[in-house]
Amino acid sequence: MTAKVSVKSNVLDGLDPTAPLLEVDNLQVEFHTRDGVAKAVNGASFSVERSETLAVVGESGCGKSVTSQAIMGILESPPAKVAGGRVLFHGVDLLTLPKDTRRRTRANHVAMVFQDALSALNPVWTVGFQLSELFRQHRGMSKKDAMKRSLELLDLVKIPAAAQRIKEYPHQFSGGMRQRVMIAMALALDPDLLIADEPTTALDVTVQAQIMRLLKEIQVERQMGLILITHDLGVVADVADKISVMYAGRIVEQAEVHEIFARPAHPYTKALLKSIPRLDTKGQRLEIIKGLPPVLTNIPPGCAFAPRCTYVQDICRSQVPPLTVVASGRASACHFASEVINDV
Amino acid sequence: MSDTTELIRESTAPIAPRKPEKNRNLWSDAFHELRKRPVVIASSLIIVVLIFIAAFPGLFTSEDPEDCRLERFYGAPSGGHWFGFDQFGCDYFSMTMYGARPSIVVGLVGTTLIVIFGSVLGAVAGYYGGIWDTLVSRVIDVFNAIPFVLGAILILAIWRSAGDTVWPTILALSVFGWPFTARILRASFIEARNLDYVHAARSLGASDGRLMFRHIFPNAMAPMMSGVPLTIGALIEAEATLSFLGLGLKPPTVTWGSMISNNVDKVLSGHPLLLIAPALFLLAATMSFALLGDAIRDALDPKLR
Amino acid sequence: MGRYVLRRLLQAVLTLFLALFLLHYLTSLSIQINGNPAYAFFGPQITPTQAQLDQVAELYHTDHPCLKEPGNWCIENFGETLWRYVHGDFGTNLQFRPVTELVAERLPNTLRVFAVSTTVWALAGIGLGIVAAMRREKFLDYFIRMGTIIAGAVPIFLIVLALKYIGGVAIGDWLRDTLGEENALSIIFRPSFDDNHPWLTILLPGIALSVVGAAGIARLMRTSMLENLRADFVRTAKAKGLKPRRVMVAHTLRNSLIPVITLIGLSFGGALGGTVITEGLWNIRGIGQLVFNAVRQNDTPIVIAVVTILVVTFLLFSLLIDLLYAVLDPRIRYE
Repeated sequence: MTAKVSVKSNVLDGLDPTAPLLEVDNLQVEFHTRDGVAKAVNGASFSVERSETLAVVGESGCGKSVTSQAIMGILESPPAKVAGGRVLFHGVDLLTLPKDTRRRTRANHVAMVFQDALSALNPVWTVGFQLSELFRQHRGMSKKDAMKRSLELLDLVKIPAAAQRIKEYPHQFSGGMRQRVMIAMALALDPDLLIADEPTTALDVTVQAQIMRLLKEIQVERQMGLILITHDLGVVADVADKISVMYAGRIVEQAEVHEIFARPAHPYTKALLKSIPRLDTKGQRLEIIKGLPPVLTNIPPGCAFAPRCTYVQDICRSQVPPLTVVASGRASACHFASEVINDV
Repeated sequence: MSDTTELIRESTAPIAPRKPEKNRNLWSDAFHELRKRPVVIASSLIIVVLIFIAAFPGLFTSEDPEDCRLERFYGAPSGGHWFGFDQFGCDYFSMTMYGARPSIVVGLVGTTLIVIFGSVLGAVAGYYGGIWDTLVSRVIDVFNAIPFVLGAILILAIWRSAGDTVWPTILALSVFGWPFTARILRASFIEARNLDYVHAARSLGASDGRLMFRHIFPNAMAPMMSGVPLTIGALIEAEATLSFLGLGLKPPTVTWGSMISNNVDKVLSGHPLLLIAPALFLLAATMSFALLGDAIRDALDPKLR
Repeated sequence: MGRYVLRRLLQAVLTLFLALFLLHYLTSLSIQINGNPAYAFFGPQITPTQAQLDQVAELYHTDHPCLKEPGNWCIENFGETLWRYVHGDFGTNLQFRPVTELVAERLPNTLRVFAVSTTVWALAGIGLGIVAAMRREKFLDYFIRMGTIIAGAVPIFLIVLALKYIGGVAIGDWLRDTLGEENALSIIFRPSFDDNHPWLTILLPGIALSVVGAAGIARLMRTSMLENLRADFVRTAKAKGLKPRRVMVAHTLRNSLIPVITLIGLSFGGALGGTVITEGLWNIRGIGQLVFNAVRQNDTPIVIAVVTILVVTFLLFSLLIDLLYAVLDPRIRYE
């Protein structure tokens, strides 16, 4: 267990140091579109502690990015709408905060790193400007002081020749360097929780490893909580402590990393793991999951994975399996979880 | 079918049966959307009517616009002479009808020339790049350096001897109007030539010409489609401005521009119809084309859906 | 950045040279094909005076043999024309006043018209575009979009006439009756320019000139804003916990303005054409009116001379716009 650090904030009152750093409780997010209401997140619950890394894994469109943006409070409403649930930061529900207070929690307490740094950084301002903006706006620092701190940040994320590069524009950096800039921006105000939304998807493999290592180092140093959103199970294995698997807007399995890889407790997780190509299965057919994910405006009754599941029975098509604890520290939303676990 | 294709089909087959969908693409989507909008219907109707008037003015009036008898000086409107007579005793309604022809002809023919000429040059520049692109781009820069209306004024002033047909106006406007289409097409072709479908077709042995016309051009046409009615509208407006100034077509040829020019102050002196009639028709023409062009642009832009 | 500036500068010089050559070529061609400069420039319906003929002869070197061959580039003539231009000699009008003098005299009024026109269309265009984007799909958005299409489709001379008669005469007369002649509003709503109140009486024509440009700018600004409101970097700015106003100004607006700048360059060209009509109809002693009168009086050499000057101005302005664009968008500087 991690030591409980005393919690200070000039933005929020009533923080409870014994409560988890972040707890998401039955989050529901809807999108109101011309074609109907799409339930992008349909009851997601998980928690993260300090110094802990939670990986949220799932295929495109499963709702993981929407969840992270809902936590940050940056969803476009309309068309998005947080229809229910709570997002508790040390016990304080972020969703019920007044707008301005919520805004001030961003970057100060919860920060985010986005996927494609080239489009996520403003092309017309220098990197230095975009970094010092945080210090000037949130802490009221002078231009000079803000620049100094920005320089320190660039050093922290190991960008060489930082003094020159701070005056350059995003398009003058390579992909990996840009991502480091994004990380620097997220860390500027020393947040308690960092959400990284597919931070390495746009990078090549060697750079991916470097970035993940950097994130991990910083997390340990600052005892930050880290939520890692990704569709890549391989990345997760090295870095995460816990995994939550998402499908069609719901968490379908939660477990510690090594448990999930060894003995998954949900058919979807199992199928995902099976479909990862491995060096020792050369010459064999690649495994796939038949069918497609459901259309979110029209989710069928019962378990959303039922149409594609190999363990499916009648009950699956009529009753939504709740996320239940199947072993210590493990939960699964499947009527036949114990079967799946034991089916090696 | 190969093993892999079969597998992919199998694995991605939708589980719940879906309604069979008709063949949809950007064009048919756009068309269906446009058909329903009242603005589009109204504009198209007006345009069709105007083209008819321009082509067959005799169907709308039996009077000869050049049959001017001074004794009918400022005659009031009456049955058969709905707009009355102007200061020379010419039947104003028939003048308005016959005045449609120069405007519409300049608009349609001019736009055709601009589109053909601009497309060919733009396509060559965009597709081949290199020296061709440099050449065409320089030429575009030069013609762009001379503002559209000023350039037309200049040409028509220098070439007053060119006679009294629509052609000098058409050519003067086309000469300074083609860069507009050329740039659009050049941009489209530059973008397209690097796309995978072009590489694929070329590796299957398609010749340059075939690639350009049968493959790239239909896709590159989309941004230009809305430009066509907008160009027609712009040319009609330009022709009216030029004939308002006394350039291009001259009396006895009847144009809306010259009719307006001759009757500028008639609003005050009690004969407002002489100014309002040609002005309204001119407005109807330019606005219909503008509204239609805008509607097409919205319908074809996937980002705005 | 330096290389970019140099490149643009050289391009501008080359384009200027070629544009002047084009004008020269068209003029020579006209004389060559018609055999007789009088016929070429003045057409079959007008009889030029001896003074006009003399002027044409002098400016265009009509005794040069190259003008007997259609298609001949007449390089020598071009050279002499350029030489004249460099020395500021653009010919004279029928009263033998040099064109350069006329232009210099009329420049202030034209600048006034442009000042009003540019301010109005920039503010109105950008403002309306922002409002339309922020109220997307609501009534105000449709209203502005429809309004800009309709306003942009009205021929410039109709707008000028409408403002002149409705504003200057109808409203103006009423104002003069109710508020008296000396009231500022009464002066603004006059149907023609008055030297004694240069700024007040230039407001109405300036607005007339700005309408078409404003329409285009509003539409482009709206589109640009819509794109940027959803841009990734705006999302990042929000994630940084910046105040909404800051996100809007420093990020969304700042990026949305970039394409609008290019449009300003293009609109300027259209405005040059429009200024001929506006000044002509509103009796403003400006450069546009020079062209307007020259066309009406068939004084073709003036038309050629003034249009040439305007082309040079336009090229300079385009160059400035291009450089401004590079200042605003750093990505361009490193191409």
